[in-house]
Amino acid sequence: MIQSLIKAFTNLFKKPQTIDYPLTPIAKDKEYRGLIEYGEESCIYCLKCEKACPPGAILFVKTENPSANEKNKKALEYNYNPYLCIYCGECVRACPKPEEALWQSNKKPSVATKEDKVNDNWFVLERLKKES
Amino acid sequence: MSKKTINIPIGSQHIALLEPVRFKFECENEKIITVDSDVGFVHRGIERACTTKFKFDGIGYVVARVCGLCAITHSLSYTVAIEKLLGTEISVKAKYLRILLLELDRIHSHMLCLSHTCESAGFEAMFMRIMGDRELVMEIQELLTGNRIQFDYISIGGVNRDLSSEIAQKIRQNLYEVKQRALGYREEFTNNWSLSLKFKGIGALSLDDAYRFNAIGPLARASGLHVDVRNEINYLPFSEVGFVMQTHKAGDINARNLIRLDEIQNSIKMCENIVNGLPEGDIFTKPKGKPNGEALVRFEAPRGELMYYVKGNATAMLERVRIKTPTFSSIPAFSHIFVGEDYADVPAILASFDPCLSCTAK
Repeated sequence: MIQSLIKAFTNLFKKPQTIDYPLTPIAKDKEYRGLIEYGEESCIYCLKCEKACPPGAILFVKTENPSANEKNKKALEYNYNPYLCIYCGECVRACPKPEEALWQSNKKPSVATKEDKVNDNWFVLERLKKES
Repeated sequence: MSKKTINIPIGSQHIALLEPVRFKFECENEKIITVDSDVGFVHRGIERACTTKFKFDGIGYVVARVCGLCAITHSLSYTVAIEKLLGTEISVKAKYLRILLLELDRIHSHMLCLSHTCESAGFEAMFMRIMGDRELVMEIQELLTGNRIQFDYISIGGVNRDLSSEIAQKIRQNLYEVKQRALGYREEFTNNWSLSLKFKGIGALSLDDAYRFNAIGPLARASGLHVDVRNEINYLPFSEVGFVMQTHKAGDINARNLIRLDEIQNSIKMCENIVNGLPEGDIFTKPKGKPNGEALVRFEAPRGELMYYVKGNATAMLERVRIKTPTFSSIPAFSHIFVGEDYADVPAILASFDPCLSCTAK
């Protein structure tokens, strides 16, 4: 009981445990699981990451302006939805060329606004994928 | 002359409730006579989604989202069930790493429950103190898995990340700190009037009733019932890392708090043993094939026994995934404890159960 009282009084002179968040940034560990990043030049278009992704946040959809990568025989384009992604890293583990074609950074996604039309644009891609 | 009773509901939304549950109490003056409960307010259809929307290798991440506090137990139970069906043998190191995270999860879940019990007794300072100390555990979980809540650490065939020597050192430091602080809580929970006097003798469950109503987890162990799934399964080597079952006799709220404190100490010891004696080896074995047949897996979640039933038919989509959560199994015992207690004690008793409705309704 007395110990508890002493603790309560000493707590009055301690620094707060909380962080004044937007003003003071929270320290991020370098191993923090964040956005998935893609290196187009090294991609071999095996589509393993697309199949492995649990929420389906990676889609390879046909495009009219394909990249110059010679492995891209079907004229596909890599699309990634950071707001659907659960950052589990399954795609990176499935990738035959991790660290070169696909890797996990410790970055956070930007806050999506209404103007970005995150969902609408993604639904169009999903429809295209289904039709192909 | 017939006695007059009044019905007082608590929930589904109430200031003293942490999660949406509804209890209807029939009270005579202050005493509760009968209890009726409803737990289905946050149903999300996860079991159905597991068999229609996701392939078997992605479901581990889906079921992890059933609950924020025991996410690791859910994904681990599912993964072990699938590994049983596929016949995958995982490495010893991966097994130890799985126990490490499971026990870290138990420590932070028990600390959360203890802090809420303090809050329900009106002891806000203690609530803040425990929640502040809980950050030490959250910090090492984040270092180990890369995320604070949704660990996504376990995959079919092993674990996703290895334990580096820097992280191991940090785990040792933080766990030592938590251990010292948890010893201080014991002093508070036994001697502080705000906590011990308010809780002693309230919401008691006798050993016979615990047996009769099939109580599980800390609720049963506080009444002296020797039930712990960690003692009964052989998928993970719990006994090798120093697991000792904790029991108490009183069965009241105070006993449940003390059980949680004892389990925190035991889990810290287990984690320290793992970090100090981690064997060398691979952390991942590639699984092969598609699940075919039925598997039933039990694990000890922080709240009690968690059961997974998985049925596969040699395709990528599963036929059935059934989840039985600890809170759901404990509802008969919960309802029995309320009978005969004062209505004013309900929030404190409910907090001591540590109910997880998100798990229960799934």
